[in-house]
Amino acid sequence: MVEEESVRVVRCGGSELNFRRAVFSADSKYIFCVSGDFVKVHSTATEECVHILQGHRNLVTGIQLNPNNHLQLYSCSFDGTVKLWDYVDGILIKTFVVGLKLHALFTLPSAEDSVFVIINKEKPDVFQLVSVKLPKSSSQEIEAKELSFVLDYINQSPKCIAFGNEGEYVAAVRDFYLSVYFFKKKTTSRFTLSSSRNKKHAKNNFTCVACHPKEDCIATGHKDGKIRLWRNFDDDKKYTYTCLHWHHDMVMDLAFSVTGTSLLSGGRESVLVEWRDATEKNKEFLPRLGATIEHISVSPAGDLFCTSHSDNKIIVIHRNLEASAVIQGLVKDSNIFTGLMVDPRTKALVLNGKPGHLQFYSLQHDKQLYNLDIIQQEYINDYGLIQIELTKAAFGCYGNWLATVEQRQEKETELELQMKLWMYNKKTQGFVLNTKVNMPHEDHITAVCFCNAEKLENPTLVTSSKDGHFKVWILTDDSDIYKKAVGWTCDFVGSYHKYQATNCCFSEDGSLLAVSFEEIVTIWDSETWELKCTFCQRAGKIRHLCFGRLTCSKYLLGATENGILCCWNLLSCALEWSAKLNVRVMEPDPNSENIAAISRSSVGSDLFVFKPSEPRPLYIQKNISREEVQWGVFVPRDVPESFTSEAYQWLNRSQFYFLTKSQSLLTFSTKSPEEKLTPTSKQLLAEESLPTTPFYFILGKHREQQDEKINEAFESELVQLPLTENIPAISELLHTPAHVLPSASFLCSKFVSSLLLSKETKSGEEIPEDVDMEEGKESDDSDKENDFTEKIQDTNNTDLGEDLLHQLSKSEEKELRKFRKVDYSWITVL
Amino acid sequence: MAAGGRGVADPLSPAGVPCAFSPLNQAYFALASADGQLRVWETANNRLHQEYVPSAHLSGTCTCLAWAPARLQAKESPQRKKRKSEAIGPSNQIDLLALGTAVGSILLYSTVKGELHSKLISGGHDNKVNCIQWHQDNGCLYSCSDDKHIVEWNTQTCKVKCKWKGDNSSVSSLCISPDGKMLLSAGRTIKLWVLETKEIYRHFTGHATPVSSLVFTTVRPPSESQPFDGVTGLYFLSGAVHDRLLNVWQVRSENKEKNAVMSFTVTDEPVYIDLTLSENKEEPVKLAVVCKDGQVHLFEHILNGYCKKPLTSNCTIQIVTPGKGKKSTPKPIPILAAGFCSDKMSLLLVYGNWFQPTIERVALSSKEPHMCLVRDISNCWAPKVETAITKVRTPVMNSEAKVLVPGVPGHHAAIKPPPSQTEEVESKRKLGENEISIEERLGALDIDTKKEKDDLPQTNSFPVLLTQGLESNDFEMLNKVLQTRNLNLIKRTVLRMPLHAVIPLLQELTKRLQGHPNSAVLMVQWLKCVLTVHASYLSTLPDLVPQLGTLYQLMESRVKTFQKLSHLHGKLILLITQVTASEKSKGMTCPEQKAKLVYEEESSEEESDDEIEKDSDDNWDEDEEDKESEKDEDVDEEEEEEDAEEKDEENGEDRDVASEKELNGDSDLDPENESEEE
Repeated sequence: MVEEESVRVVRCGGSELNFRRAVFSADSKYIFCVSGDFVKVHSTATEECVHILQGHRNLVTGIQLNPNNHLQLYSCSFDGTVKLWDYVDGILIKTFVVGLKLHALFTLPSAEDSVFVIINKEKPDVFQLVSVKLPKSSSQEIEAKELSFVLDYINQSPKCIAFGNEGEYVAAVRDFYLSVYFFKKKTTSRFTLSSSRNKKHAKNNFTCVACHPKEDCIATGHKDGKIRLWRNFDDDKKYTYTCLHWHHDMVMDLAFSVTGTSLLSGGRESVLVEWRDATEKNKEFLPRLGATIEHISVSPAGDLFCTSHSDNKIIVIHRNLEASAVIQGLVKDSNIFTGLMVDPRTKALVLNGKPGHLQFYSLQHDKQLYNLDIIQQEYINDYGLIQIELTKAAFGCYGNWLATVEQRQEKETELELQMKLWMYNKKTQGFVLNTKVNMPHEDHITAVCFCNAEKLENPTLVTSSKDGHFKVWILTDDSDIYKKAVGWTCDFVGSYHKYQATNCCFSEDGSLLAVSFEEIVTIWDSETWELKCTFCQRAGKIRHLCFGRLTCSKYLLGATENGILCCWNLLSCALEWSAKLNVRVMEPDPNSENIAAISRSSVGSDLFVFKPSEPRPLYIQKNISREEVQWGVFVPRDVPESFTSEAYQWLNRSQFYFLTKSQSLLTFSTKSPEEKLTPTSKQLLAEESLPTTPFYFILGKHREQQDEKINEAFESELVQLPLTENIPAISELLHTPAHVLPSASFLCSKFVSSLLLSKETKSGEEIPEDVDMEEGKESDDSDKENDFTEKIQDTNNTDLGEDLLHQLSKSEEKELRKFRKVDYSWITVL
Repeated sequence: MAAGGRGVADPLSPAGVPCAFSPLNQAYFALASADGQLRVWETANNRLHQEYVPSAHLSGTCTCLAWAPARLQAKESPQRKKRKSEAIGPSNQIDLLALGTAVGSILLYSTVKGELHSKLISGGHDNKVNCIQWHQDNGCLYSCSDDKHIVEWNTQTCKVKCKWKGDNSSVSSLCISPDGKMLLSAGRTIKLWVLETKEIYRHFTGHATPVSSLVFTTVRPPSESQPFDGVTGLYFLSGAVHDRLLNVWQVRSENKEKNAVMSFTVTDEPVYIDLTLSENKEEPVKLAVVCKDGQVHLFEHILNGYCKKPLTSNCTIQIVTPGKGKKSTPKPIPILAAGFCSDKMSLLLVYGNWFQPTIERVALSSKEPHMCLVRDISNCWAPKVETAITKVRTPVMNSEAKVLVPGVPGHHAAIKPPPSQTEEVESKRKLGENEISIEERLGALDIDTKKEKDDLPQTNSFPVLLTQGLESNDFEMLNKVLQTRNLNLIKRTVLRMPLHAVIPLLQELTKRLQGHPNSAVLMVQWLKCVLTVHASYLSTLPDLVPQLGTLYQLMESRVKTFQKLSHLHGKLILLITQVTASEKSKGMTCPEQKAKLVYEEESSEEESDDEIEKDSDDNWDEDEEDKESEKDEDVDEEEEEEDAEEKDEENGEDRDVASEKELNGDSDLDPENESEEE
């Protein structure tokens, strides 16, 4: 295969959003979260992803705002680099190569040129907190090797490290002790709780730590649900702690509000608790957040909180404990039992979602549509509870029917099974329960499949079970004198020598049903439910079974656990071919004859696409993923592509998606990276320009006047105005790319001073070109308005005319500087 | 403006509420309602995406809106390794939405950030903005207004690039040519402008009223032979206020023909038009026109020269409420907008009220000329427009759903080994025969009951009531009999009932057993009695398996937990009762009809002996016993004593059963088990 490289595996959605604490931007407009190898920038108002910061080559493990410039973001990754981003435009500014696997990142406003990272140097489980000095340099990629050791033998999780009281000390917890390192004194104090050997304190382990932003107070969370508030810890003897206890299970994360007046805590109960004034009495709750709270973070402005949950979502919560937005990734809390399906109606990917729910995930828009509550029971978040699990689901008859199977097994013999058949009600546009079957089988159901033949008089469903039977359910008329109704009834029960039924599958036209009983495949006539023939290859239990489609409908494929792929011809009832392939996933394309099989080898997973009629595979791609692939599905394309090359042809009608063991959803892309990049140049950039508000008139006009005043003052003083180009500061600023510029505070004073002299020339430059060109054609109206504003300025000038010659006062200068600092973002626009 | 986008006061505004689908894959639907709020809905799950209230929403309500062309995001940085998996990211992100207001300002709203992006005011319109169009490539924005002007905006700087007078009256509609070099504008007449020079290229006249919509329908000229300058030969479509005709015009190279080439006729003024562009000459243009009366008309036509007669629609779509009961008539639900999906085979319909519209994807079939969709939107009326945080949908689970539990017919088909396929067919046939026979017997029953009444007026009327109830299927009569708790009464009734009523009784009992568990407790008593008393009769029936199959399955499933133990228990009870009964047996006076039947029954005894070998017969007898014993063991004990007293009443049939059961019991049981049970 020549083109092998060109079909690439791409990740689509569904990376973990809850791996680390989310971070708010300074103005609370954006929220940042790690997502696999990327950092995602979401809008807190609309939940939409604004940017994806790409550049790391391994899992991103930490993000922090740059304390010196709140428009920049630091991120660190397992790939050993710390990167600095401009998140407003989504540009990578700098890369600092540390060279060690970085586990977490911390920044401090007081430590301007360094960041703190967690590394493990020697042994695999010994972690250190070190500070990395970030050298100043204009180059894009900088080596940062200057590490200074802070704390040793700490927990690798960033939840177990906290910096307190404006960076005076750092607190770290691990197992049964809390260590505090004071930067000024350069001493470490260590406080130990009684260990687990004592039964009373069996679960005393520290789980997380947070520091009060203003006071010397450390909050620690514990495994038994207690929160301890430590004070006076600068004294090894006189230290005190108080206990807050509400959580009945481990405290997962703690956070202080910006002012420090309240403490937030969360755990498996999925209730956010706000402790006001750090007392046990004043508690506020935000319950029913859906899943275990993994992380809590607070916006620097103090108006928003957010909680990251184990079901891969981030909830943005308003200060008054009201959830305002949910950023939901592909839910990956539980195991995926149902596999991947496509809802024929919405074309969404359907799989297990929240516990007891089916999630509908839109692949086109890469976001979750909704969760369908199948089990409809309150989910109790508690460790060790055996929950009802949604194990199977199938869509039938163009999405008109949905069959779901739920099970709960407490002990070996206590299996509870329930099958629900839902009908799509067009009138109300939703599913309605039609038939509920208790214990449809006496043992686990291994497969559920609908007969999806086109001309089918009544819908047919087959369930196969480990109890050795398969049942055929048909839709029958249940009307009586009171109402018209349809319902499902069992039509036929089949078995074969008491073997466990492991798989079932209908042929494309619905005339044949194949049911595998361990090693044996049986073929049944769907009209009379007669056993037609059996195939047995003695090659291990059948793991997957599927019929060929279209021109290959005479073939039946079976993949066994011993790594044999068999293809039987149904006309001759003989084995057509077999191949040695350890098939993990086998999926037929609904729109073509192609069948995709993913095999597992010691190195990774390989993809084979083949037609049953041809011995040679159409397409092979080795090593599509390092981990095991668990499920796959072909999703029909809305608009068919027209690839002509052999390697692409199988992707013409449908796209193949697969889910790995770590639940990342991957697919194949045929577009080259360059092709994908080109649209960027066309990106529509519209400058933000909002008209003046009354507030602006009060404050802004005043500033404008001052500006005017200052300028005029200088104008009157200076005889000759130097040209802008001649000022080195300006030229440096204007001709260096924005992303390599040093921080604004560094440039500000220099820049402002040069700016003051050259206002006129600069403002001339600022007028965009097209306005220059079209100005003549502009209507009189706009001119009038311009006149009007000029007039206002004139009057102002005359009013303040006598002050013109005043020297610039200190306070004014300061204000001006502040103003420039705030509004320096125009640099990037230039 | 009334709900549903009807009754527009101003004839110059485009009829209906300003609304639009987002470009490319129609992920969002933006709707600016009359109360000045902008709402963006997600089309895929019909969820309110965001809500925005402009600061001046009351004075300057939104009059028109337009989505910016898709903003394509940077997806991956070039230094990425090849083999590494990468993110697809939110590709083709739709962002900016331009809103024109009644006071002449234009707002650019960012749907990604959920806030106002910029406001285009200076140098713009000083009257109501009628239409906004984005240029597909260069980020320019064109707007027209009641102030007779057309303005070209640079959206990057938010400044006016150019402003010119477009008409002598207000300009109501705009459209940019597919190549982006021409602009159509319409007021009283339709004008085609060259964008570069802002000069008029062509005039088109034909509409009597102000044109409300303009759209190019083709991207390529009909004949490919002549050189294509980007606009010549193209067709475009126009709809006007109060006009039920949509005109199609062609841009000609020579400037003489000014009339429409053809027209489409619809039922009311068009308020929303969507179409699919044809890729090649053969493919027809598909057109969906939403009219003011809330209907959608679909046209499919290959545009090719003149057509004098106005074309009528290929398909009309209407939506109505279901109409509760028979009296109330279904009411139409107005459709607000319709957009073709990217596959061109389905249509996104937005219907209901603008406050809470429903968005649905409807597959199109070319055959039907009229589609009437019945939709229940009553639950949408509740004002719940706050963004749903949980994103959980709860499907309806109501009591109307059928419930299948083990034992209920339909839960399980009879288990048969695969070769016994023929038997099933046979048994089915037997079932049919049997029904007739029951009828016959019930026919005979009439006489019997009468006799009974005559002969035994003094006895308890329970057997009579029972047989009559079974015959007429009278629920109350049966209730009266079956809900008794008196064991003696049950026993006597069962003894006296005619034999042909046994099977109907069993079936009735089965039905009741499937019902409420409380009633099942009572029914079990009856069942036990019937089966012990009439076991021999039942065993003579050749078609017992199909007749009592459900009962068997029911019992089988209910005694599943301790199957062997309950089997044993049942057998032992049967054994003991029969032994004591045979010891105490005395000749008893049977009712006359009984005597007759005993006679008949003896004749068939040989047969029954053979048939009795069938496992199933025995099993269900035993299981029945088991079950009952399991449920009310204490009752059983009492009952045994009573049994002993009543044995004199039992007739010869029971002894037969007893002997059979003895045989079976002995053969089946382990001595060990027996001792345990004892």
